[in-house]
Amino acid sequence: MPKALYIDPEVTLRPQEHELKLPSIPVMKYNKTVKEEIESGRFSKEDLLRIFRDMSYIREFETMLNLVKTTGGYNGVPYNNPGPAHLSAGQEAAAVGMAYALDTDDFIFGSHRSHGEILAKGLRSIQILPDEELKKVMDEFWDGATVAVAKKAYSGNDTKELGIRFLLYGAMAEIFARTTGFNKGLGGSMHTFFTPFGIYPNNAIVGGSGSIAVGAALYKKVNRKKGIVVANLGDGAMARGPVLEGMTFASMDQFNTLWEGDMKGGLPVLFNVMDNQYAMGGQTKGETMGYTFPARLGAGFKADAMAAERVDGYNPLAVIDAFYRKKAYLLEKKGPALLDVVTYRYSGHSPSDQSSYRTKEEIEAWEKEDCIVAFGKKLIEAGVADQAALDAIRAEVNANIFECYKLAIDEEVSPRMDLVKQDELLGEMMFSNQSIDSLSDAKPDVLMPLEDNPRVKQIAGKERFWLDKDGKPVSSMKSYNFRDGVFEAIVDRFYKDASLIAYGEENREWGGAFAVYRGLTEAIPYHRLFNSPIAEAAIIGTAIGYAMCGGRVIPEIMYCDFLGCCGDEIFNQLPKWQAMSGNILKMPVVVRVSVGSKYGAQHSQDWTSLCTHIPGLKVCFPATPYDAKGLMNAALQGTDPVIFFESQRLYGIGEKFHEGGVPEGYYEIPIGEPDVKRTGKDVTILTIGATLYRALEAADILKEKYGMEAEVIDARSLVPFNYDKVIESVKKTGRIIIAGDACARGSYLNDLAANISEMAFDYLDAAPVVLGSRNWITPCHELEEAFFPQPSWFLDAIHEKIVPLKDYVPTSNQTVAQMRLHARKGI
Amino acid sequence: MAQVVIMPKQGQSVESCIVTEFKKKVGDKVSVGDILFSYETDKASFEEESKFEGTVLACFFNDNDEIPCLENVMVIGEPGESFEEFAPGGASSASAAGAAVEDASSGTVSLRSTPPVAPQGSAPAPPLNVPRVAVVPGGTSSTAASPRAKRLAAEKGINTSLIAGSGPGGRVIERDVIAAAASPLSGLAKAMMAEGGLQAPAAGSGIGGMVRGSDLRQASAEAETASAEFTVEKMSNMRKLIAKSMYNSLQNSAQLTHMLGADARKIQALRKKAKKALEEGRIDANVTINDFVCYAVIKALQKFPKVNSHCLGDSMRIFQTVNLGCAVDTERGLMVPCIKHAETLSITELSKALKQVADDCRKGSINPDLLSSEAASFTVSNLGGFGVEWFTPVINLPQSGILGVGTIVPRPKDLGSGVYAFVPYLGLSLTYDHRALDGGEATRFLKQVATEIENLEIDF
Repeated sequence: MPKALYIDPEVTLRPQEHELKLPSIPVMKYNKTVKEEIESGRFSKEDLLRIFRDMSYIREFETMLNLVKTTGGYNGVPYNNPGPAHLSAGQEAAAVGMAYALDTDDFIFGSHRSHGEILAKGLRSIQILPDEELKKVMDEFWDGATVAVAKKAYSGNDTKELGIRFLLYGAMAEIFARTTGFNKGLGGSMHTFFTPFGIYPNNAIVGGSGSIAVGAALYKKVNRKKGIVVANLGDGAMARGPVLEGMTFASMDQFNTLWEGDMKGGLPVLFNVMDNQYAMGGQTKGETMGYTFPARLGAGFKADAMAAERVDGYNPLAVIDAFYRKKAYLLEKKGPALLDVVTYRYSGHSPSDQSSYRTKEEIEAWEKEDCIVAFGKKLIEAGVADQAALDAIRAEVNANIFECYKLAIDEEVSPRMDLVKQDELLGEMMFSNQSIDSLSDAKPDVLMPLEDNPRVKQIAGKERFWLDKDGKPVSSMKSYNFRDGVFEAIVDRFYKDASLIAYGEENREWGGAFAVYRGLTEAIPYHRLFNSPIAEAAIIGTAIGYAMCGGRVIPEIMYCDFLGCCGDEIFNQLPKWQAMSGNILKMPVVVRVSVGSKYGAQHSQDWTSLCTHIPGLKVCFPATPYDAKGLMNAALQGTDPVIFFESQRLYGIGEKFHEGGVPEGYYEIPIGEPDVKRTGKDVTILTIGATLYRALEAADILKEKYGMEAEVIDARSLVPFNYDKVIESVKKTGRIIIAGDACARGSYLNDLAANISEMAFDYLDAAPVVLGSRNWITPCHELEEAFFPQPSWFLDAIHEKIVPLKDYVPTSNQTVAQMRLHARKGI
Repeated sequence: MAQVVIMPKQGQSVESCIVTEFKKKVGDKVSVGDILFSYETDKASFEEESKFEGTVLACFFNDNDEIPCLENVMVIGEPGESFEEFAPGGASSASAAGAAVEDASSGTVSLRSTPPVAPQGSAPAPPLNVPRVAVVPGGTSSTAASPRAKRLAAEKGINTSLIAGSGPGGRVIERDVIAAAASPLSGLAKAMMAEGGLQAPAAGSGIGGMVRGSDLRQASAEAETASAEFTVEKMSNMRKLIAKSMYNSLQNSAQLTHMLGADARKIQALRKKAKKALEEGRIDANVTINDFVCYAVIKALQKFPKVNSHCLGDSMRIFQTVNLGCAVDTERGLMVPCIKHAETLSITELSKALKQVADDCRKGSINPDLLSSEAASFTVSNLGGFGVEWFTPVINLPQSGILGVGTIVPRPKDLGSGVYAFVPYLGLSLTYDHRALDGGEATRFLKQVATEIENLEIDF
């Protein structure tokens, strides 16, 4: 909703053109011969033979895996590989053609079926990297552990030849879950990658790379990095939300209409569809999709149809030709682009797939067109090589694969992690836990000195504590509040770290739906703060790609309830990549999530528990301005994904706890440390989020009417969580209520309660009592008192389950009998 | 060598006794036969005579303490001899409790070995003295206690089962233990607290502030105090026990009473004959009307085994023998001793047995096992001597019935041919548990008792 863009009713209601013209999309237009290509000077003989060689490497690699899966060995050497193997035999020309046009600075992202793409890109990078650089990459990787084994397969002095063994062995060792693998064996077949060669993660979730790759392109653009990004996706992925949302995000008009200076122009990302005709057993064309060809999708996203083309993926030269053109297009800042590369997979979805959905004749007909055999014939026809030379290449390839295979299955040289003996090893890989001021050496792009910012000036006039010097409450307009705390931390980082960007729905002029970013529009240029489409999967997915490449990012989910829209990104992608990469990747993503109230069943849910359940996410839910600023500072200083929950009930609240008010300067509150907001001796109340204030109300009543002093502890963070203060408190009081706004069933409240029971059992005077919301839909605002925990519920729960209060008449039913009844009914 | 005096075990069902008074103190010289201390069980009191000669070297308890049977109580020996090793649980404190186990084969007493000392660096060992279990007679207090309460109780050496819980559902929570531990309680005080309704003061009148039974006060905020109109007397422990069991009986069974008169001419005649026989030295027992009635009841019970029973709720205990309970009024309160295998006794043997247990009760020397309500299979309670004609006796659970015997009064009787005369009638009041018996059976039994009384044939 930028003011700069006027929506003219004249033009909108009475357009000049009365037809939306779609550009035509080329289909299989390449028709050059090998001879013509040689004559044009595009390829040398050696180039062409290397293309043949690289395709052969892929074929043999996949053949090896297929034999291991189906016969329990390869070339008579037995091995059992229980893990997945989604093979791409048949698709070699598409993979090698894709990689040929790319530099090491160009990144590829893949799918579950990407062994061929990894090998093709790796082989191409080995070819084009200067030997010294290649050697350095290999020597530094896992401190030389991987190359040390690769050297057992090659004793010569040719760095590139060693590089090939390194690549083959590193990929195999990864697939076979060895510590010498590219990701220490933690990624496996579907997640193998090697960033020094520009190979970024493959993804076991179909279409997962569709938004992540866009984020990588965003990183390259915003941080002025060289290269383009290729999202290798299957035709089956064209049905997936993240792909469609990623295309939407990548095609935003604002790159051309609103981004300024050198930032003006489209994202350098190519959606490359490996159109192998099948989505598992479903046939995309004719059965499960209606697009005729995947290339049609381009017309839906961008006026130039993303320069989409359908090309012959059985001819590597046709693919290379297309890639040269698309790369140039992207470097002209016209992206995104779309390629539909026609290919065919011989094997089933996996070796257990008997291809019952297709005929033998169909497979045989495609095998007759085999891309390697056909390309070989063309080379012979063009006089590049004779059959014997080609046979020699295949023999050498096969021998190298076999040598590397033997090393990769050797328990001595290729050990696995011992997670039984070293039972903390993987746990310590879940977070990177680094503290880094800035992830960029560049000078941050900002529009004004911070002190000139109107919001900064406004905050300067505010009282930073809720009471003034005379102890009187400050008016809400004059009071420094929660959103000021979040703002100060974020604006500070914007001026410190050039890589930091923030986006979401309504992040710019509006200042976020809850005005946290008010004033940021004036300070931060478009390319660092912008409105995204309403596409949560893309908002989080692109942030993952951005962080993976080395940038810091704050994506915003406007309502917690929308987390479901980016479920895969939050639960499968964001938390997994640090450990799944063997700690090669960092994930400095701070996801701001606003927790609603007043807006009914789909806008008022506290889903913190869903996030705490997923290993690999840090989870914060501050309730005071001081904590919000300190925790946001810590989140932005770190390198881990943090889901940062903010309650809409609290945006306007002043600082009531920290003596002296919220400091003006920078400070961090370590994530994971709960805070005692009020001391007491008779009962402990541990709260999550905004429930803190209702607990304090309850504590007041307890003191006034029943002489009980409640100790109120604000969890502040949920993951990690240091129980020390809580256990210390429970040892003192013997009693604890754990309260929050999440629906009680299955909530993190229960997790805390169960752990406290175990940790402080002998000190408990009653079982820890959980006070969550009812297991209902959230009713409308007028009825919310019956749903969210109220101050009276605390007293009711104490009376019924902890210690009877004298002459007390409960208002809500907090009895164990009621719990059982509700459980029986599922409510 | 120093000798140890233990708390005797008075009957199988007795697990502990309360010392009412130590007659000898540390330093006193004692001779064999001297009374060392007096003590009581639920229903009887005893005196412990010294079996040793010497000086009291140690006494591990105070007056009113409850002491588990077979526990070491005192040590007697020559001055200078060591006695610490006899301290209960190995502790030297006079108030510390310990446990002793009986060597079943020899009947001797040995001290339980001290628990092993925890290795250095490990968590502190639990208190050496496992809190002794003070018996709550007939008590069924809730055993639910919070972990925190249990932990604190273990530290303080308090048995949570003796504390009335104030938490949800009567759970013992921390504050209950704190209240109970405000000051050390004597065994009696603990037992009295367990009965409920009493509060312990912060410090008692015993050694080291120990709260004694006499220190306990009514729990209610406005504790009862004497005024011009009344005095306040604490109920004795025994009174409270009687109160509790009588109350329980009426709360937990379906009692009703049938009343029937029996022609008493026959037993009045028998009584005269017996008196004469005693005077003439032919028998050695003063057989009373009550003895004849009991004799008749025993005969009737043998014909109605279902009445001679215990009702256990979901099963019946039918006795093959008659263990006759007999209510005895004593200064200490109502006691019901039992005569085992009463059907094997002749009338004079029965008469003597009844007199013996009544005397034992009044002296307090009755075997406590005979006082258990489980010991008797049926009870007879006679108020005839006080002129009561009919009454509704309360069953001594789990027995199924009790016969109340009233006084003899003349009643008109149809002697036939339109002739009416005043005939002495004995009032019989049978209270039975309707759970165990139906009215028909109870009535037939009662009638049988009357028939036995009216037709009793005994030669003296």
